[in-house]
Amino acid sequence: MNLSKILKNAFLIILASLVLTACATKKTSTIGQLQGDVYTGSDSIEYLASGVPDRVFFATNETVLTTASRETLRKQAAWLRKNSNIKVVLEGHADERGTREYNLALGERRANSAKDYLMTYGISSDRISVLSYGKERPVDSGSSPLAWSKNRRSVTVKAN
Amino acid sequence: MNRNIFISFGLHIFLVIITAMSLPFLAKKPIDLPPIISVELIQITDKTNIPFAPKAKKIIEKVKKKEKKLVSEQAPPKKIKKQKPDAVPLPDEKIEKIKKIKDEKQNPEKEETEIKQISEFEKKELFDTNSIAALIDKSKTESAETNKKSDKVTQDQDKEMDFTGLTLSEEDALKAQIFGCWSIPLGLPFNEDLLVRIKLQLKPDGSIIKTEILDHARMNRPGQGFYKVLAESALRAIKLCQPLRVPSTGYERWKDMQLNFDAREMLEG
Amino acid sequence: MLLRYLFILLVIIPTKAFALIEVDITRGNLNPLPVAVSPLSIDNKSKENFKKVLKQEDLGLEISTIVENNLRQSGLFNPLNKDAFLQEPDVANLKPRFEDWNLIKAQALVTGKVTFVDEKLRVEFRLWDVLAGKEMMALAFTTVPSNWRRVGHIITDKVYERLTGEKGYFDTRIIYIAEEGPKTNRIKKLAIMDQDGFNNKYLTLGNELVLTPRFSPTNQMVTYLSYFRNLPRVYLLDIETGMQEVVGDFPGMTFAPRFSPDGKKIIMSFAKDGNSDIYTMDLENRIVERITNHPSIDTSPSYSPDGKRITFNSDRSGYQQIYVMDSNGKNVKRISFGNGLYGTPVWSPRGDLIAFTKLHKGKFYIGVMRTDGTGERLLTENFYQEAPSWSPNGRVLIFYRETKTNSKGEGFSAKLWSIDLTGYNEKMVETETDASDPSWSSLLSN
Repeated sequence: MNLSKILKNAFLIILASLVLTACATKKTSTIGQLQGDVYTGSDSIEYLASGVPDRVFFATNETVLTTASRETLRKQAAWLRKNSNIKVVLEGHADERGTREYNLALGERRANSAKDYLMTYGISSDRISVLSYGKERPVDSGSSPLAWSKNRRSVTVKAN
Repeated sequence: MNRNIFISFGLHIFLVIITAMSLPFLAKKPIDLPPIISVELIQITDKTNIPFAPKAKKIIEKVKKKEKKLVSEQAPPKKIKKQKPDAVPLPDEKIEKIKKIKDEKQNPEKEETEIKQISEFEKKELFDTNSIAALIDKSKTESAETNKKSDKVTQDQDKEMDFTGLTLSEEDALKAQIFGCWSIPLGLPFNEDLLVRIKLQLKPDGSIIKTEILDHARMNRPGQGFYKVLAESALRAIKLCQPLRVPSTGYERWKDMQLNFDAREMLEG
Repeated sequence: MLLRYLFILLVIIPTKAFALIEVDITRGNLNPLPVAVSPLSIDNKSKENFKKVLKQEDLGLEISTIVENNLRQSGLFNPLNKDAFLQEPDVANLKPRFEDWNLIKAQALVTGKVTFVDEKLRVEFRLWDVLAGKEMMALAFTTVPSNWRRVGHIITDKVYERLTGEKGYFDTRIIYIAEEGPKTNRIKKLAIMDQDGFNNKYLTLGNELVLTPRFSPTNQMVTYLSYFRNLPRVYLLDIETGMQEVVGDFPGMTFAPRFSPDGKKIIMSFAKDGNSDIYTMDLENRIVERITNHPSIDTSPSYSPDGKRITFNSDRSGYQQIYVMDSNGKNVKRISFGNGLYGTPVWSPRGDLIAFTKLHKGKFYIGVMRTDGTGERLLTENFYQEAPSWSPNGRVLIFYRETKTNSKGEGFSAKLWSIDLTGYNEKMVETETDASDPSWSSLLSN
């Protein structure tokens, strides 16, 4: 092969590589309601009181609290300290992409994560009980990652 | 999100067009034609009917008897597991290796006897398959399989060259017929010894005078209920296939025949 | 050396003129065995009596239809069309003319007779080898007329066992969760039916959530999870009397219950403070024993048929995997090592395999592996399926599948499916409503 041919091919290869790199998509979704794998939107959220969201969300198979979750729980703890006669039930849930029995255990663990955090803010454990629904009570019946993320939650419910 | 897909798609199409257009830039090499070798086609039947000197025949029979013993002893220990083609084959390597090692342990004996034959009377075919098997040591699997194949081939070739057996084509015809008649019970356990041997006495037209199940006692042994089922299915196959596809000549050599039904190959998946 | 031996053999052993020809038959066809099931013969008086008592026009025909359907569903048999039968039932039962049955290519023949005697149902049946022209089996038994469907199932079990060498699984029941309603608020009831879908009965009303029922080996009792009064706990239900009771007195959620093989214990998970461990309770003396003690989630326990070991699901390695341990909790060993998550392990009644659910790259699989974890085989793949349960002969798995919903959340359905251990004969099990969480009973006639 002569020089001009080599140059031509090299030019084409470089051009092709540039074209390909231009097509790379971002890993994190740009839907705007999912961060990492955790729901960050405001759909389905109810309020215990003004400014106090009733639920926190989790990543797939995870039971750790995100920063946003901890903020929500601090608000809940403050509200509970103000209303010291109120008892709550923390209901833990999982999405449908798992086996039924393991999801029951996962829901319980999620609700307990939230309970432990509330207790570190001075709420006594006999005011908080835990109940897991596994994947039995989804809030969104869709079969998409967004729907699933809304279902991975722990919801604080007034018990009296 | 959709916009990004369209942009990416468009750019990829552009890329494809460039690649297609760049092909003519590459120099075309002339195609080299290899020299034509003439090949002679031989009919298998012609070859397999070549008789041997009487001395050779006797020794071959002795060796055959020995080999038969080896074959039947070999059958039980093999633990072949079932595998569907689209299954995920995971920690199978361990089992395969053990299996292949077993094969190899039992095969070297055979190779010795075959090589003995070679020195007596030039059986080039036998020698070739064995040496190839010995040389090809790429993977244990391959060598074990070629050993298995060469064993089968040697047995069949023994029979043919022995002038008292069926030719390869006669045997194939009979096998094909019985394959069609044998309904293998799907309920058989695939990890057990599934070999049932049936001796037949035949009339010249291929119909059956008498059948005898070897290992008859096994049919009633506890825990071997499936063997009875297997044996019965083999008997049904034979009855269904009457008259058997037997050779038109040489009644004396095939009037007593033994069919070895082995369901394992079919059931292991 | 070898030559010497050959020489000796030559001299000592006389040679035969012709050696015995051996032909290896290593292939056949895997077609279902063609079998003819003749309607059971029935005399007119019995026919009238059964019609009065059971409201069935021709009980002999009905029972033979049950046998026919069972054999066909098993995937191993091909029952031939009755219209082609040449011999009448009563004649065939005494002495079949095998040429007639051979003509329609039947290899086996079932004939029989049913009579109404002393207010009871008496049945006798025979299994014939058509090609050999011989009787293979003959049995007779008596029962109450209301058991007439079970008669068909029992005949099938006997015929199946005689022709395949394996015990049958037709005289069995399946307990499951019948479900209805929108996905966000499903109404679930405990339901039980014959293995062929008949005699469906609901055991709870649907007022509280019920999940994961399991049969006791004695078949009289059932254990399941109920959210009665919003407290999820394991319950015991007597099918005959309808009596229910909570199992134990646990201060937290108990779930995933099963029976021990002798029916004397319940094994389950107990969740407290974010941790789920496995416990047993003896049903007689009510003694509770803790089996696992680990900060991970331990659930879905299943006993080996000899009761000596337990397989269970744990995420102690970080993700859901399958483990095996002694029944006292010692010697915990992980046995699942493939890519993906593993759950719902169930030990086969034959003791040789463990069935499981696997989730990998967004797909669900039902599979089996040996009890040491080797030989993993995936039998079927789907968008969502889980919870296999073994037939009592360890040959067939029943499980359930759910469908994907569209963007509006519509199109959801849950159904029971079954598949043979060889991967063949995958089919849906018909139920009146949607269904999930199936569990197979042991043979009723034991």
